[in-house]
Amino acid sequence: MMALQAVVAVVERELLKLGRQRGRLLAALVRPLLWLLVIGAGFAALENTRSPSNYQSFLVPGVIGMTLLFGGILAALSTVYDKESGVMRMLIIAPIAHHWIVLAKATGATVVALVQALALLLVLAVLGFVHWPTSMLLLVGGLAGTALACASLGMFIAAWSGTMDNFATTMNLVIFPVFFLSGSLYPVQRLPTILRFIATINPYTHGVDLLRHAGLTGAAGATFGAGLDMVVLVGFSFAALALAAMRFSSLGGNEPLVRRLAQ
Amino acid sequence: MTLRLTGAPSFAIETSALTKRYGCALAVDGIDLEILTGRFFGLLGPNGAGKTSAIHMLSTLIRPTAGQARVAGYDVRTHRLAIRARIGVVFQELALDRTLSVAENLRFAGMLNGLSRAKIKQRGSELLEIFGLDDKLDTPVGALSGGMRRSLDIARGLIHQPDILFLDEPTIGLDLPNRRAIWRHIAQLRAARGITVFLTTHYLEEAADCDEVAFLGSGRIQLQGDPRTLVEKLGRYVVEIETEQPVELAERLAPRLGAALVEADRLQYLCNDEPTQLAALQSELVASVRAVRWRRPNLNDVFLWVNRPAGAQQRAA
Repeated sequence: MMALQAVVAVVERELLKLGRQRGRLLAALVRPLLWLLVIGAGFAALENTRSPSNYQSFLVPGVIGMTLLFGGILAALSTVYDKESGVMRMLIIAPIAHHWIVLAKATGATVVALVQALALLLVLAVLGFVHWPTSMLLLVGGLAGTALACASLGMFIAAWSGTMDNFATTMNLVIFPVFFLSGSLYPVQRLPTILRFIATINPYTHGVDLLRHAGLTGAAGATFGAGLDMVVLVGFSFAALALAAMRFSSLGGNEPLVRRLAQ
Repeated sequence: MTLRLTGAPSFAIETSALTKRYGCALAVDGIDLEILTGRFFGLLGPNGAGKTSAIHMLSTLIRPTAGQARVAGYDVRTHRLAIRARIGVVFQELALDRTLSVAENLRFAGMLNGLSRAKIKQRGSELLEIFGLDDKLDTPVGALSGGMRRSLDIARGLIHQPDILFLDEPTIGLDLPNRRAIWRHIAQLRAARGITVFLTTHYLEEAADCDEVAFLGSGRIQLQGDPRTLVEKLGRYVVEIETEQPVELAERLAPRLGAALVEADRLQYLCNDEPTQLAALQSELVASVRAVRWRRPNLNDVFLWVNRPAGAQQRAA
């Protein structure tokens, strides 16, 4: 009960911060819209298709996924910043088991990613890129599953990374490869074998695939079964969070943190 | 909770041979403490003496390498959450979110401790009134002064009404008026709630009000007791002599005044002589030294004499 209230406290704090950082919300909207409107149109021109909107329709679930990926991982990575500020001191001295800190931060990052994706969906609806989904259940599942998987990946990295210095490294070594080696920008089944293999085992691919199942644009393009997508997302999140929580609650892992925090 | 026989003393904190080792470095080397409920206890010592490691073991954040410790009746190894629910910890560094306001910080800390919003509001406003922050509710922590931030941090540590409050160097980096204000608030809280306070500090004048102090050096307790008794036991007067030749003078005075504490060009002696004898000493030496004076000892002197280098006449490092 107390642990659940701690989760609520952490989520509330994340939302409060998101509400105050207007630039962050704006960036979360501009990045995917740039891909959709500029790169999407550019690639469509390269393809020389008669109807450029086809590729853009294909791209819509990809850029929603992108918002969830960046939003989820970056929010989870704020744990590394928290480690260096006073917030982690408040969390480690609270009467909750330390693995709850991981679960609370992961929930917070999931919610933050979802808020950003919903804002993007709203803009896309206004611009006429999306219409009412054919399956609301798959849309909700796709959004929540992808957000959770990305937040869990972020927590996994945060549990092992010592300082914010690793931030740029994480951006280049994790977020970009995860994004480019997925089905966000191109259909997985048409990729060369090695890339197709990597994209298939990339859990984020399954998040975007599930969003394609939801049928927001009329263009289908899903590669895997919706059930498989959901199993991969939930399974990956569970494993990543379990490892991050183990790392975080092991005293061996925590002692350097405690010593550094209290200096 | 351990059942205790009626009339038996109730200890807020008990340790026996409590030890913490980091690799081959011994941070805390077998300390034994018995701190009665409601007492104001000071763990004193220089930087690196092991004070913070001791607080971290008692607040269940790090595991002891050896020995036993019970806090609020619970074992620090097996009942970490029960202990954390009953203690408040104020770390050396602030445990506050600079981006949130005063009220938001207290709400966050209160919720982490399982309090309802109504309770947080009520206790928060009581604490902010004590700490003189009641008009800062919506101010971001980043905009508060150093002293106000520290006061808020202590209020944060008290929001869940802990039985024991750990203060790890709470006034470090604060100016004198702010330090005094914080001690006034803590005295007020102790009077109102009777909580046990476990303080570490190296500002020894702040520990003079403790019921009991222990001097920690190299991880061991060097001396322990009521600060007033410790000061009295040290001697009636401290004689300070400033001279160009401290070592030679120390040798010359050794038969009369005993061992000296040598600090650069200053010699210190403990003595129980009458002021008239001290006046005689002063007039005898006044021609050959820069200054001779005597005064009542304080806790700083106890600390200096406890930690003086082996061989009392050695030059202090």
